[in-house]
Formats: sequence, structure tokens, C-alpha cells
Amino acid sequence: MALTPPLLAFEDVSKTYVDGIRDVVVLDRVSFEIHAGVFVGILGERRSGKSTLLRVAAGIEAPTTGTVRFEGVNLASMSSVRREQLLRHDVALMSVQDWSPNPNESVIDYVALSLGSYGSSLRDARYRARRVLARVGMSSRADDPARSLSLVEQARVVLARTLVREPSLLLVDEPAAMPSLSERDEFCALLRSLAAEQNITLVVASEEMTPLHGAGVLMSIGDGELCSTDEQASVVQLPRRRAAGAERG
Amino acid sequence: MGGAVEEMKWMRGPSASIRGALLGLVLERPGHSYDLGNRLVTRLGETWRISQPDVYRLLRQMEDSGVVQSSEEPKRAGLRGTHAVYFPTELTEDAVARWMETLVPMAPVRVGLQAKLAVARKQDAPRLLSALKQYERECLELLLSTPATPEGTPSWKALFMDCTREAVDGQLKQEIAWAKHTRKRIREYAAAE
Repeated sequence: MALTPPLLAFEDVSKTYVDGIRDVVVLDRVSFEIHAGVFVGILGERRSGKSTLLRVAAGIEAPTTGTVRFEGVNLASMSSVRREQLLRHDVALMSVQDWSPNPNESVIDYVALSLGSYGSSLRDARYRARRVLARVGMSSRADDPARSLSLVEQARVVLARTLVREPSLLLVDEPAAMPSLSERDEFCALLRSLAAEQNITLVVASEEMTPLHGAGVLMSIGDGELCSTDEQASVVQLPRRRAAGAERG
Repeated sequence: MGGAVEEMKWMRGPSASIRGALLGLVLERPGHSYDLGNRLVTRLGETWRISQPDVYRLLRQMEDSGVVQSSEEPKRAGLRGTHAVYFPTELTEDAVARWMETLVPMAPVRVGLQAKLAVARKQDAPRLLSALKQYERECLELLLSTPATPEGTPSWKALFMDCTREAVDGQLKQEIAWAKHTRKRIREYAAAE
């Protein structure tokens, strides 16, 4: 019987940015696997590389070296059609700050139009949007102008806009950025319960623990390294001959 | 005056915080040592690493100081024998109030690793990197095991539990950051040599 490959796998992945004349190593030969159905928390300070890791995982950015696999397939060797499908359907990267409705756009259209023309008529997209808005508790605001929403309502609509695509992997960047602690807790509980209900594999990155409570696997990120409660996830530990961030010659 | 000093003896030493918390739990509701130990872990999380024999020993010490008293009570229905149930005394409420006002002693959980770093040699670097990584993983596991605040109606109890959880989270996050930073320093130094 063939073993099911992990939903997402990083194999010796490095990501380096150029900052002036220096190479900044954000991910340094990071390896880990995420299996379907497991809630994974990634804990890291600001500028620790959390967002970069999520963008690389979502296929939005390519790693400098190493391989990222989704369901066993190397993202770099995917056909353009499969890659587009992956980005539009299978994997969703969400930040509660991703709020960019057009002027005068209604809440329901902001959600529905995110489906684009990908296998969905506008009528069908609106039907799906209305259903998902009900799940995030925003039914009553569906026909209101999107610009009239509060920050907390915006976050719920951003979640609806992500879930309407029915992704199998949901990557969430810093869901803790809310005006009050109770609103943060409510939103995080909603996120967890909807992901569990819809059988979505949830990966949440945050500098706070609250959004990560209940995770099956917890990872910490910083200085290019990853440490995980899952023994399989590892990074190369041996001292390197060239220091990270060394000046380019 | 001498009496007051005697009464405060239970607050001295490295286990003062655990004793104070146990006292607060006895004041809240009497219990036997196993029950009090379980309630303590539920409130504080696993980071405190307190064993049942320790709970029993600390309760006995506090009984000697007169801030709790025990009474042999039958075990719950269906179980034979008796066990010591700890009750508050007339001193308990005042003792807890005084303990609330005292400064918290610093007690870093990484003391064992600091001792290793203090005497490490150059050839110990790979072992230290491995120990630091293991320590970081342990801290992550403790973060996962810290009980989340129960959802529902807001209450003072839930608020205080949440504040405790945030304190534990904060300490462990600091430990994780320290372990990562120390590993980075060791690796960079080794690479530059």
C-alpha cells in the first residue's frame, strides 16, 4: 500500500534576501513536513521569517535553494496550469490585514469576486459567498458596502474570502492583530473551529501564543532556524564555514 | 513581633511560590494533597514541574507553621481508608494576603543549561548546540501543554487564569528566544574560527 505523502514538505529550504550589499538569510536549510489534518503553529518574533516561510509554502515566492513539495509534487516542476490551480484553490495564504475592496463594493461581492472566473458563475459565486459569510457570522452585513465594516468585521470577511475557495491548506499570518483581546480570542476560536469543520489543514504563524493554542505541532522560527515539537522537522545544526549575513564579495 | 516572624517562615526558600499557591487553593476549597497538586497544575501549567511527594512535603511544612491544618477524612464513596484533607486555619487568610504582597524571587528555569555554559570548553560546542535545541523543543512542548483559558462567560477566575497563562507563555517564549540566540552565537563563532 502506497504511503500518502505529506500535504506540505520543505526539504533543506533556504531563502536569502539581498539587503544593500549583504545577504540576509531568512530561512537556513529548513526541513519539515506537515500532514493533512494537523493544526500547526509557528511562533516567532517580528522579522523572524514567519511571513517569508508562509509565502514560500504558498508557492508565492520560490526558495533560493531547496525543494518545496505539495502532496509530494515539487512546486518548481509543476505545470503552469497545476500551479495556478494550487495558488487559486488548494493553498490559501491569509492575513487579516489583506483588506482591499474596491470603492462601493458590497461585502458579498468582495467575497464572491475573489473566486474570479475559476469554474464559477457570478450567481454561483454569490451563493457560495453568502453561505460562507453566514459561517463567519457576517450574514447581516452581506449587502452592506465593504468600506463600512469595523476592523473585526473586516477580519471575518477576509476569512470568508479565503474559505470560499475551499482550500485544503490554509496558511494564516498573524491573526492576533485585533483591537481587543476578547475580539482576538473570538476570531482565533472561529478560525480553529471552521478549519476543523471543513477539514482544512491549518498553519498559523504568530508572535503570540493565543492563536496557536490547540496546535498539534508547534514550531519556533528565528535566526533562519526552525525548531519543532515534531521530531521529524529538523534543521542542519553543524557550524557553517561561512557566517550568515556575510558580506558579498 | 517574634510570632509574626515565625508565622512568615513558610514564605522563605525556593518553594515559597508553590507554598503560597497551595495555601491560596486550600483557602479556596479544602483538599487532600493529590487534589491540591492536580488543581495546582491545572492553574499553573506544566512548567512548574511539581511532584505529588513535593506537594505533600510542602503541605506538612505549612501545617508545622500553623497556616493549614489537616484532618483524616474518609476517601470518596467506593474507596477504603482515609486521607489527610487540608483545611485553612485562622492564620491562612492573612498569610495569603501577605504572600500576595511579597516580591517574587527570580527563578530561571534554564539554570541547568547556564551551569553547563559556564564551564563549557571549545570541544563542547556541538553538545551544547544539541542541548540547547533539546531545551528549545522542551519549551515548545510546555507551551503546547499550557492549558488554554476556558471559553465562555468572563469571570475573575478566568481572568486570573488567563493572566497566569500569559505569564507562563511569556517566560517560555523568552527561553526559546534565548536558546535560539545562544545557538546562533555559538555557530557563528565556530564558523569564524
